Amino acid sequence: MLRKMTKSISLFMIISFLACNLAADAARAGMIGTETALQAIGREEGLSIVTAFLEREDVRQAMTRQGVDVLEAQKRVAALSEAELHRIAQQIDQLPAGGDGVGTVVGALLLVFLVLLVTDILGLTHVYPFVTRR
Amino acid sequence: MAALLIVVFSVILAGCGGVAVREALDQSERLPGQAAVAAVPFYPQEELQCGPAALAMVLSWSGLPVQPGDLAGEVYTPHLQGSLQSALVASARRHSRIAYPINGPEELFAEVAAGRPVIVLLNLAFSWYPRYHYAVVIGYDRPAETVILHSGTRSGERLSFRVFDNIWARSEYWGLLVLPPDQMPVAPDEKAWLAAVVGLERAEQWQAAAVAYQAAAGRWPRSALSRIGLGNSRYALDDSAGAIEAFREAVRLDPASAIAYNNLAQVLAETGRIDEGLAAARRAVELGGPHQDSCRRTLAELLEQHSGPRPGPTR
Repeated sequence: MLRKMTKSISLFMIISFLACNLAADAARAGMIGTETALQAIGREEGLSIVTAFLEREDVRQAMTRQGVDVLEAQKRVAALSEAELHRIAQQIDQLPAGGDGVGTVVGALLLVFLVLLVTDILGLTHVYPFVTRR
Repeated sequence: MAALLIVVFSVILAGCGGVAVREALDQSERLPGQAAVAAVPFYPQEELQCGPAALAMVLSWSGLPVQPGDLAGEVYTPHLQGSLQSALVASARRHSRIAYPINGPEELFAEVAAGRPVIVLLNLAFSWYPRYHYAVVIGYDRPAETVILHSGTRSGERLSFRVFDNIWARSEYWGLLVLPPDQMPVAPDEKAWLAAVVGLERAEQWQAAAVAYQAAAGRWPRSALSRIGLGNSRYALDDSAGAIEAFREAVRLDPASAIAYNNLAQVLAETGRIDEGLAAARRAVELGGPHQDSCRRTLAELLEQHSGPRPGPTR
């Protein structure tokens, strides 16, 4: 079962790899993309096509590690530009993910609760909606 | 004791909040004292789903009625128990909307005063104990010193400038404007706009990209890049005549653009206008530049087509 799954995943990877290559070839044969034209003005230092491709792959894999399914991760990565991926790839494991703050804090330590309560009252933070401050 | 120390330390570090937000309003002469964006629907978030909720609110405002539940699969990352900024950006694009970055209070208030809601990333707690949260800014009130937001389970929540500045500064004032492709930010930066439209191309939203490039061409009449983008989008939409027109405009505006000549050559050749295509391809190669390999290849291919299918004596 697991073996079958691994097999279908690697097949998928091979196909998507091929698809990427084909797309790159198609671009080379005729049309030059707008993204390339835009980068010609201020292309980030050292960001080659190869790095860009590898970064896209890195970010996609990081997403699947974080519980996003393979196809969906592919789509999320596809909609980002090279420059955007370059920024993400540098710090993929430390990016802020907006959750909600409230639910997770309920279970926090009493100490943390008290600190945040005080800072909420001081207006430095806004963790507890019941603390309203002007 | 430790807690007390931390609190005292934090007070020293972040004692004077709200200044940036207040100054942004006071320094701008054009911004009104109060503003409220009409018709931003409120979707209360479910646990951990502030990202999908915030995006659903602005997408609905922009004319695409969606519910947070429809977006969770595109935006939320299970193991992180939250949504990454890049996922919001990508999802907006996948729904044919421009995702334009907003940096700081001045840009934020300018958009809100112009009637646009803005997604902001807030860190409700501290950098050493981050609690990231997305909310939608829908108004502000200078006399009352409050910012008005749809946030979490609270519709139209009012936060003082001080609190809002403290918690927004901790995300480095990250904001996101989501617009239909024919609408521009109040003070758009050409490069930032084109980069946002390239994102639509990435998401294969060609129709929206073409509309957005057209808007760029109207806003920056001398921008050759927006014509190249327009040409490429029309080409992807199989509108050869439109693409040729856009590339011709691009080479008129920037006669040194090898890319514009190269792409013009390719479309001309594909529509059977080989001679005109060859002339443009030759011009692209003459101009040289970082893409001369691609230009040479295009020329070689056109030459092959030119001599290939033609009947007549061989050798």
